[in-house]
Amino acid sequence: MEEYAREPCPWRIVDDCGGAFTMGAIGGGIFQAVKGFRNAPSGMGHRMRGSLTAIKTRAPQLGGSFAVWGGLFSMIDCGLVKVRGKEDPWNSITSGAMTGAILAARNGPVAMVGSAAMGGILLALIEGAGILLTRFASSQFPTGPQFAEEPGPAPMGSPSFGDYRQYQ
Amino acid sequence: MPVAVGPYGQTQPSCFDRVKMGFMMGFAVGMAAGAMFGTFSCLRIGMRGRELMGGVGKTMMQSGGTFGTFMAIGMGIRC
Repeated sequence: MEEYAREPCPWRIVDDCGGAFTMGAIGGGIFQAVKGFRNAPSGMGHRMRGSLTAIKTRAPQLGGSFAVWGGLFSMIDCGLVKVRGKEDPWNSITSGAMTGAILAARNGPVAMVGSAAMGGILLALIEGAGILLTRFASSQFPTGPQFAEEPGPAPMGSPSFGDYRQYQ
Repeated sequence: MPVAVGPYGQTQPSCFDRVKMGFMMGFAVGMAAGAMFGTFSCLRIGMRGRELMGGVGKTMMQSGGTFGTFMAIGMGIRC
């Protein structure tokens, strides 16, 4: 998600938190509408009401967990920017892994490692896709800016890939 | 969002283009992530051979679709 001009650092936390909540709420609304529609008893009224109930109960929850993820992620991201003094893909990857670890902290160390690996891999994939996209876009316009970043390799082969599904 | 005219005299892609690009990117990321995580989880529940291929493919499509939808929404709310 590097296409838009990102906010300067302290405000990025608020921006990401709200953006993540909106994204989770809308996406959760779409998916829960389908799910509620399919799981309700037959009859159009029941199905409509079932999908509305599913949206009302689950979409804000999903938005909330997205917002927690996004807010914590960009808090750690901003902290790393301050500590390391530079902004590169490794910041995002590290903060994704740390976010996963922190959010799984109550499930024990094994879950923390699994969740951290998942967050890191996911963020590495997203960053890699963003970099590829930027390269592609800039190769189309020869006067475009040249990006001197290395394409953050995905850390394959994570240790102890036990309970990666236990993220929040 | 920045203004609609880019720094090189080219107009920014339209809103629908951005949503489409977000979906494509999310789909690719989701496919890659689904390939990894799907392989692990299908191996854990004891799938082998042809069955494993099917299971991984299904996980890849599912997570690609989910990711693509969320990325498309994420692009859509920012333009």
